[in-house]
Formats: sequence, structure tokens, C-alpha cells
Amino acid sequence: MSDFWWNVIDPVQSVLDGVMFGSIYALIGIGFTLIFGVMHKINLAYAAASIGGAYASLVVFQVFHAPALLVFLSAAAASGVIGYIVYICCFRFIPTEMPLATLMASVGMLILIDEVVVHATAGMPEPYPAMFDDVMIDLEPFWIRGDLAMIFALSVVAMLVLLYVLHRTRLGLATRAVAQQPSAAQLCGIDQQNTNAVTFVITGALGGLAGAMVGASVGILSPLLALPLTVKGLIVTVIGGLGSIPGAIVAGLLVGGFENVFQYFRGVTERDIYVMLLLFVFLTFRPQGLFGRISTRD
Amino acid sequence: MKRLLTIAAAVGVALSAGAAADAADRTVKIAGFGAKSGVVRSFGINTEAVLRAAARAINDAGGVKLADGSMAAMEVSFDDDRCNAEEGISVVRRIASSDAVVGVGPTCSNVAEPLFGILQAKAGDEGDSGLQFPIFTDTAIKGGLAKISEWAFRNVPNESQMYKSLFEWLASEHPDARSVYGGVEEDFAHSRFTWYKVMKTRSADAGYEVKGESKWLLNDTNFTTQVREMKRAGADIVAISAHPFTTCGVLKEMARQRVPYKVLVGLTSSSSLETLNGCAKQAEGIIIPTSFAPVNPDAVAAADAAAALGGSADLHSAAAWEIVMILKDVIESAGIQATADSVEADRRAIRDGLAALKTTTGLLGEIQRTEEGEAVKPYVYVHAADGAWVVLHDPNA
Repeated sequence: MSDFWWNVIDPVQSVLDGVMFGSIYALIGIGFTLIFGVMHKINLAYAAASIGGAYASLVVFQVFHAPALLVFLSAAAASGVIGYIVYICCFRFIPTEMPLATLMASVGMLILIDEVVVHATAGMPEPYPAMFDDVMIDLEPFWIRGDLAMIFALSVVAMLVLLYVLHRTRLGLATRAVAQQPSAAQLCGIDQQNTNAVTFVITGALGGLAGAMVGASVGILSPLLALPLTVKGLIVTVIGGLGSIPGAIVAGLLVGGFENVFQYFRGVTERDIYVMLLLFVFLTFRPQGLFGRISTRD
Repeated sequence: MKRLLTIAAAVGVALSAGAAADAADRTVKIAGFGAKSGVVRSFGINTEAVLRAAARAINDAGGVKLADGSMAAMEVSFDDDRCNAEEGISVVRRIASSDAVVGVGPTCSNVAEPLFGILQAKAGDEGDSGLQFPIFTDTAIKGGLAKISEWAFRNVPNESQMYKSLFEWLASEHPDARSVYGGVEEDFAHSRFTWYKVMKTRSADAGYEVKGESKWLLNDTNFTTQVREMKRAGADIVAISAHPFTTCGVLKEMARQRVPYKVLVGLTSSSSLETLNGCAKQAEGIIIPTSFAPVNPDAVAAADAAAALGGSADLHSAAAWEIVMILKDVIESAGIQATADSVEADRRAIRDGLAALKTTTGLLGEIQRTEEGEAVKPYVYVHAADGAWVVLHDPNA
């Protein structure tokens, strides 16, 4: 194949890879956005809790030699538990009128979770199971990594389940009610604290799945993952529109794709500069993000 | 009179017993420091275990002989610098205000470089108020750092020499391999330095065509684009200058994309348990030059002693064992007093003793010392085979 065709195929392939990987960003973004939507607070410990859940699932993998799918589900469960702990420690008892206090508490929790992982593993990379990691789907001249396709599919399923829960169940109704009018929701008999806690558990489980997907895509887990995922999650949340789940999904895929395009054309050292520029462009010209609404609440 | 003599004898016995007790209690304090937090925590854990194991071996054999002929125990402390320059400098300033006579560390080159900058540049220069405290480095490996200060010494391998020798050996062992392609962790000082200043130039010197390099960052999780570049380059030798986390990520992606290569070369720091722990299958066959492997009884004993204290002896931490043994010899030949009043003089004597060394004994053989305080260490080539590091070739044999 001539260089010309390689120069055409390569960027497209890069976008394809990026979009596939972007589904993980979307999952993380959903977590940030859902918590923000319900509580109007940012939980900066979210990505660290996701990686923490993935690490916790290593017990199932290393001790019981469980299959990959079970390990992923364990990561979701463990991360749900961590999400609840984060809620109790950083949000439950801090008055809502002190947003900075909850923000700083979640930063502290991020560092704490990271250090716990580091101390438990001595910072050593740990192998993480994957599904279809040796499969390449050949779509000549393009190809799709089997494991990334699986991650994409699993992420889509998780998002659909979440959307179903939010829009077709009483729990979802309560969550949306608290997000829109917390006082009115409380007057209608909805337990606000309980709804918040459940939101943290659900988003925690989603995050755990995302953490597991990152581990599966790289093949190893490292505490190094928490900070970049936090940054990417926040970017996705802002670009998608604070509080918008469809926005987080689209923005996650968008950021994943753009990241690879920037990397292809400008190199890895400039890649993140352009991703940040993209963020600034949105903050300046469309601060409500792709799907967010400029609105107030009581 | 008889009563007076008895009292005098009793006082004499008491005084001599006190003196004996003083000698037994005297210690030579060595202050280790390095990264025990974050993703490089394992480096600090290993160095601390090796330092303590070496000190224990010396103490079990009777300790260190002081200037007055008495024996002192070697006492090791270890502080965490978090692989952070400010923390490293703060830790060393604190150590220097204690009665430790020498510091051993740090783990990271980004700590070593500014840290050496706060030491007195030229020993004895009264116009320089820099810290007068000898530092002997076991791990921070970026080239040429010890020349920053005459109080800085290193026992780290000379990567330039190791890779020069490795690429020359590869040229003779694999005459069909004619080209090299690199993979570099662009935001890590050691990885960058080793690719651009060592692997790239040394492979070109050995007659290889360098076809370029793919770059990624320490925190990256997606290597598809970089590995496609690598595959398109079609080089015979792929040289990866990165630490275990991204090395494993790249190796797994290379396996997925079926990158064809004849020889795989890795970074010195990757010849550790972390790589095998993370991706033993994909790392199979990777060749790395290293200044430590348990290939003789002394090296095996050092590795076992470290393991008994929960550490692992690798090319970085094993250097700490050699450092403690070198320090014992220097302390004994320099006439250290190890008293509260002699701390500054003891530090200066140790510095002078280290600076005067031309050769030392290492676990793999004789180590040459340069005038700039660096080491030229013997090395072997290891490769990953069946989940373990196995010696592939000993250039000194």
C-alpha cells in the first residue's frame, strides 16, 4: 500500500481507536455528571474510586481465578461500596451551602484512595484480565481491537441500563426529582439523603466498570491511572454539559476520538494541549456544553 | 589505705565498664532516602530492605572498626522523598542536621539533580555555603549527575557503555538485523535520556539504521497509534525506553497488532519484577543490560538477605548493598570516630575517602570509579524467559 493511502487510513484508524476507548471516558463522565446533576457538587474522588474498585476486584481474579466478566462485575460492586463510603465521608454530613468543603474533601479522598492502592501493591503494576484481547476484527483496511469492541459494547449496555433505571423506575424518578427540585422532592416524601446515597452507589458501580475496562484495555492496573481519568472525566463532563448523561456519552466518544487525532497530527507531547484547548473553546463559546441547559434550581 | 585502694579499683572498673559500654553502643548512622510513595514505591521498599540487609550482615560480622579500634554497629534509617525534588531536598536538609555521616539515595533523577545542586560544588570551597554532606546514590540513573557536586557520588550503571556494548553484541549475534526503531516514554527524564542520548546514538554507532521513534507519556493507556507507527517502520530491532507500566501496555499492543521484529531491547529499569508481574508473556525474549543478576554466591546471598527483609534485589537496589560495603571499607580506612563532636569531620573524611577510590568490589565484580564520582560497573545481558530474568550473555566472561 502506498504512503498516500497509509496517510488516509491511519488518521481514520486513529479516530476509530479513540472513539472505542472514549467509551471509557463516557462512563467516567456519566459518573461525574450524574452526581453533579443530583447534588450540584463535583466528586473529584470518583475516578480514584473507580480504579480502587478495579484493584479490589483483583482479589477475585488472583485468589479465585474468576473469569474476566465476573472480575468486571466485582469491580463494579466494589466501586459501588467505595462510592457509598465517599458519600458518607465527603458529602453526607457537610452542609450543602459549603461546596468548597465537599470539593476539598473529595480531593483528600482521591489522594487517600490512591495511597491505599499504592501501599497495598507497592505501586507495582498488576495484570488485569481482559476479554477478546487477542482478537482483531479485520475490516480491511481497518481493524478493531476485540477487547475495545467488547469494552464499547459493555459500556453501551451499562449506559442503556442506567438510562432505563433513570427513566423507567421509581428510583430513577426519585433521582430526577431530587436533581430538578430537591425541596419539592422532599415535600413529596422522597428521602433526599437516601437518593443521594443510591446515586453514589450507582455511579460508583459504573465507575468500577470503567476502571475495569481501563485495566482490561491496557492489560494491567496502575495507580497512575487515577489522575488522568479524573481530568478526562471532568473534561467530558464540561464538554457534554454538566448534568447531561447523553452529553457525557457523546463527549466521551468525542474526546477519545479527538485525542487520537491530535496525537496523530501533532504528536503525543502536544495532544493534551489541544484537548485542553477544546475544553476552553467550549467554556468560552458554549459554557453549557453540548447538551447542558443554563438553568437554576431552588 | 586499703579501703582507698578498693574504692579506686571500684571506680576504675566502673569507668572501664562505662567505656566498654560506650564502644558497644557507638553507631555509625547511614541515612537512606528514596521514594516510598506513589507509583515508584517499590523502588524505595527494595532499597530500604537491601540497605538494612547489608547493615545487618556487617553488624552480624562484628560491625565497623572505628579510628580508636573499637567496633561500632551500622545503623540505617530510611526517609520517603516521594520522588519529589522539594521533598528530597527537605529530607536531606533534615538528615544533614542529624548525626548521620552519609546519605544513600535518592530513587529519582528529578530529585537527584536539584539535590546535588544544593551540595557544596567544590569540597573545601569556603566561598560556597552549600551543604557539606556526602550523598551516595544507588538508583537515580540519569547520566552525568555526580559531577554537579564533589559531595555527590553514584554507584549506578553506566548506561551509555552498557548499550554500546549490547548493540555491538547484537550486531554480531544477529547480523540479519540492520535497523532499529525506538519507543520512548517522552515525559520521564530517564526514559528520554536513555533513548535520545544512549540507545539511539549507540545503535547508530553500531551500524544500525535508526528508523525513528514512537512517543508516549507515563500515564498513557492507549498505544494503538504509536504501535501502528512502529509496525509501519518495519525495523528489525525494537528498543523500548520506558518503565514497566507503559512497557507492558506497549508490548501487549505490539502482540495484538503482530508487530514483526527480530530483537526486542528494553530499558535497564525494566529488568525488574514489575515487568514480569505485569506482562511476562508479552515480555518474553526482551533483552536488557543490567548491573545485577544473582549469578554468583555473593549476589545470591545479597538477594536472599534482601528477600528476607521483604525487598527484591535488582539492578537499582543491589547497588545499595554495594554502597554499604564500600562505606564500611571507607569508614574503616578513613578513621571515623563516630562521636557527637566528630560528625562534620567524619562526613568530610568519608567524602575524601569516596573521592579517592579508584576501584571497589561489586556483586558482579570490580567496579571502576571515575574522577567525577561515577561508577563503571560490570554488567550482563538478561532476557525474559518463562517468567524470569535469565542471564543471556556475560560480556566480561
